[in-house]
Amino acid sequence: MKSFYKIFMFLFLLSFLFACAKKEDVIKIGTAGPFTGDQARIGQDMKNGVELAISEWNAKGGVLGKKIALLAEDDRHDPKEAVAVANKLVSSGVVGVIGHLNSSATKPASRIYNEKSVPMITPASTNPEITKQGYNNVFRICGRDDQQGTELARFVVEILKKKKVAVLHDKTTYGQGLAEEFKRSAGNKIEVVVSEGVTQGDQDFKPVLTKVKSASPEVIFFGGMHTEGGLIIKQAKELGIKAPVIGGDGLYGSTLIEVAGPAAEGSYMAFFTPTAETEIGKNFVKNYTAKYGEIETYAPYAYDAANILLKAIAESKTTDGKKLIETIRKMKYEGAVGTIEYDDNGDIKKAGYTIYTVKDKKFITYDKVK
Amino acid sequence: MLLQQIINGLTIGSVYALIALGYTMVYGILQLINFAHGEIYMIGAYMGIIAITFFIYIGLPDISIALTLVLTFLAAIIFTGAYGITLERVAYRPLRNAPRLSILISAIGMSIVLQNYVMLAQGARDKIFPHELKIGGELIIADAHITYTQVLIMALSVLMMSGLTWFIKKTKVGMAMRATAQDRRMAGLLGINTDRIIVITFLIGSILAGAAGVMISMYYGIVNFYMGYTAGIKAFTAAVLGGIGNIPGAMLGGILLGLLEALGAGYISSEYKDVFAFAVLVLVLIFKPTGLLGERISDKV
Repeated sequence: MKSFYKIFMFLFLLSFLFACAKKEDVIKIGTAGPFTGDQARIGQDMKNGVELAISEWNAKGGVLGKKIALLAEDDRHDPKEAVAVANKLVSSGVVGVIGHLNSSATKPASRIYNEKSVPMITPASTNPEITKQGYNNVFRICGRDDQQGTELARFVVEILKKKKVAVLHDKTTYGQGLAEEFKRSAGNKIEVVVSEGVTQGDQDFKPVLTKVKSASPEVIFFGGMHTEGGLIIKQAKELGIKAPVIGGDGLYGSTLIEVAGPAAEGSYMAFFTPTAETEIGKNFVKNYTAKYGEIETYAPYAYDAANILLKAIAESKTTDGKKLIETIRKMKYEGAVGTIEYDDNGDIKKAGYTIYTVKDKKFITYDKVK
Repeated sequence: MLLQQIINGLTIGSVYALIALGYTMVYGILQLINFAHGEIYMIGAYMGIIAITFFIYIGLPDISIALTLVLTFLAAIIFTGAYGITLERVAYRPLRNAPRLSILISAIGMSIVLQNYVMLAQGARDKIFPHELKIGGELIIADAHITYTQVLIMALSVLMMSGLTWFIKKTKVGMAMRATAQDRRMAGLLGINTDRIIVITFLIGSILAGAAGVMISMYYGIVNFYMGYTAGIKAFTAAVLGGIGNIPGAMLGGILLGLLEALGAGYISSEYKDVFAFAVLVLVLIFKPTGLLGERISDKV
């Protein structure tokens, strides 16, 4: 019996050896975002974009003569989970990470990646603080909340010509940050009649909206994501509030229209400026829709992010994080969302926001309405 | 504004009350906190959406919206009833004479199992209540908007709560339930089939939770697999607030909790919406440890 155990233990250890040996055959790329729960749809969209880029590279023979493997981890847009997931990705030896999606997850996770000099490119986290932490490994493909906050403030003041604004936010890094940026750049051109935080994941916003209603604002600003945004739009309508709801890129997502239903019509949200159609962009849309169906929001950004990372590996002919970071910073990349170049912080040089609105259950740019 | 906040509070409070009844009835008879009860409510919400999607598919709402609603509620409570009975049979009955802690762990385990089962079966994404079936219209009383869905929730809850009170007070089974709650062994010796009474308790609790689930999915229009957790905690709080084991206490506790949340969020700050409810719970328990209407001192889990 004893010898049996010895053989068993030997085989057991041997299996570890094989697992270790196999590791070297592929180049691992990580991605993390909310793949389950209320934001699963945009999370999945991001993951699909990365997957598509990787499958295209693999079809061409991979990178540095090796196949590329994707490790996808669910951070459930929870900061604690994001740190755990980041540690997991780093310890399984990823070369770079595409993600995370939510600013509140990206911020704590970026520290983990920075310690090991793993480059990370987020396709969606817009909080300004993320690239101000002094971490050289952090890049993003989207704009920042101070940029979209300014655009939203300009829209309220100059185009809607409204003064009394109720400001709500979901208390997350993204939502609260965006609300602050909006208030800051609007300055004294608007009058904030109510300013309240709500809890992400809550579904009953009628009490706070009743309070908002009694302050009779002309516009309701919401810094947060589409599930809560949709519920707020719907419940505001049910309470007889006529002021339109306006928010940032978090509101841009088909979930908002599904949750709010007809009430969503005429609400406003800032989102990245659509780029002039390029050949790469057209090909991406064609390939993506053939494989996964309709594009939700962040897929093209995630696709470009993955391509930038893989191109950096191919160009610098190494998987060393420090060298990759240097290559990415110097890179000029023509992608599905336009030309991408990085400044010293890891922000893209050209980042524009446009106001969208909902019409006939679709997001369209505001200037098309007129 | 006050009237509107009271309406907001009553709507959500009556849902809490319905779920709290399930906790309190099971506790009354088994001294068990059925942690899987919140999941039964979640399954009710899912069943409501599945049933209504099916009815829209076969075109029933075009014939009669009222009939569609009645059938949706029926479908949901039949399924949640079945889940409740199965839960008792699978997870609690085999442990009837085991230490109390084992059965509690079993309840927590069932909660996790059901949550993950629904996630795997229905997907991790949120489900949206179809907009095709909209109970349009609202009452406007002095600037307070009350949608017909809210009216339906409050009316149906009152109906079910009074039905339950009548059932417990006046029927033979209700009397047997009260006897079992007082002393299970004695009730058994007097010829009451206590096993059957326990099954009936679970059945009633699950039906109430299932109906609450359908109502909430109609109200918010959005359902997910983890919604049972928060709702379960809130309803459990409501049951403790009213005095756990006490049926009118659960009703009172639920409605009070709903009102506290709405008024706290509306008049003080919505950032601390959950804090008010739990702060009041702490205060009540300091000054009246048995809850508002509870008499028995519980020495159990």
